[in-house]
Amino acid sequence: MLFFKKKFRDTNKMGVTVLQQYPVPENKTGTYVIELLTKRILALGATQQGQFLVDCESYLSHPQMGTTKTVHILHNSEQPASVFSILESGTKNIHVIADGLFDLLMMKLSQHYTSKKQTKIESKGPRFELGDFCVKLGSVTMNQNFKGILIEVEYRPCVMANAVWGLLREFLQGLLGPSVPVQPPQHLLSRMNEIYTPIDTIYQYLEHFSAYRKTTGLRSA
Amino acid sequence: MNQAINVEQLNSALTSLRTLRSSVSHVFETLSNGLRAEHGEDGKDKFLIELQELLNSVNINLRDLEQTVNGLPIPVPFNLGNTTYLSQETTQDRQALYTQLVNSYKWTDKIHEYSSFAHTLLSQNSLKRSYINSGSTKRRGKLQSNHNVAPLQVDNVINNIDRSYNDMKITISRPFASNAVVSINLSHVLKAVVAFKGLLMEWVMVKGYGETLDLWTESRHHVFRKVTENAHAAMLHFYSPTLPELAVRSFMTWLHSYVNLFSEPCKRCSCHLHHTSLLPPAWRDFRTLEPFHDECKQ
Repeated sequence: MLFFKKKFRDTNKMGVTVLQQYPVPENKTGTYVIELLTKRILALGATQQGQFLVDCESYLSHPQMGTTKTVHILHNSEQPASVFSILESGTKNIHVIADGLFDLLMMKLSQHYTSKKQTKIESKGPRFELGDFCVKLGSVTMNQNFKGILIEVEYRPCVMANAVWGLLREFLQGLLGPSVPVQPPQHLLSRMNEIYTPIDTIYQYLEHFSAYRKTTGLRSA
Repeated sequence: MNQAINVEQLNSALTSLRTLRSSVSHVFETLSNGLRAEHGEDGKDKFLIELQELLNSVNINLRDLEQTVNGLPIPVPFNLGNTTYLSQETTQDRQALYTQLVNSYKWTDKIHEYSSFAHTLLSQNSLKRSYINSGSTKRRGKLQSNHNVAPLQVDNVINNIDRSYNDMKITISRPFASNAVVSINLSHVLKAVVAFKGLLMEWVMVKGYGETLDLWTESRHHVFRKVTENAHAAMLHFYSPTLPELAVRSFMTWLHSYVNLFSEPCKRCSCHLHHTSLLPPAWRDFRTLEPFHDECKQ
């Protein structure tokens, strides 16, 4: 297991990020909402800096290995050289951050872990920079089916969620409008006084992706 | 134009001097040759008449010279009183003294002129960085240079400040000879590096928690570039060469107030982000240490 990254948590710091679900109004399409939000953020003076993609594939352990465990493999275009894996084992989640080779390892382990292909889910869309903020407007699709919209806002100068939450809420509220309630993400609540790392973003995506998988059709709130 | 006339006059003066000289030498030449064959029998009278003519021409030439010399303008500011006689010194090695004297006189004169200009300018803009303490010449004697303080004393001052804050870690390094470069870690909010010269702060650079510190590269975040700008203003504001320790301590207290950079809203508009710059309140009042947006502080 030489390829596991040692450097994370010490050098791999990033700004506090909040992932927020944006409800798609009835009889409106996802592209309409993305265009609306794009216009709004460009009017604030943002510049578009390419696209982004976060994807998640989940594997189930073979029943012969005892209780079934789920391994989620996630990629984030913001950390293109890393593969994030989260093992769900009852109450506790264990994560490992590895190099790109980890994908090949999972293929080798296909006898023990089978992929749930039909639940492959991703969020992708334009990426904007606005001052010290980085905003990503993602359309969530599962098997080419549109599921909803996730907005990721990163405030890059600050690494402590506790200190910056008020500021982030003000920004999100201004961007999304008063109709959208802005709450700190569940995952972040337990880590308010810790230094924020890329895996915290991954946990937030996983939280939302799991919720999308459970609902059929569009997610309302 | 004026100078061209001068040169012309000088030239004519020199020519008349030359003619005077040649006529004088002519007199001596004739005298030394004495009576010659061409003077004939009563050569003595003829010789005397010739000599008289020559002396007359010398007289005329002398008058010419005097006239042209009188016409020359005398450079007034370089009439250095009795020292003018130095130029008439006969010993070889002392002849150059007068020109040197004139040059150094010109030089000091210029310095005097420039410094009086500088003085009027400085007193108009009453900069805090200068030593000028108008009206109290008594204190001037007591001033000592704070650029040159023993490293141990600097260490003591900084370590004392370090001990008085729990969430601000200050470390001293000396990469450039004896002058301290101090790096400051303020909680998980920011890092700063301050270059000292003796006990006086010379340079500040503020960066984010995750960035690498050095003296010259700016932070990649807008907010810390703004804080750096304000820190420079604070460094100048607190600058006091007579009480350097107080200056350092006040600056550190001020910098420490950035511990709530992201969490405290602006005192004026009570918002975190300013609506145009989208920056948090990156200014701290010098006395109250209250947070303000740059745009809100007036």
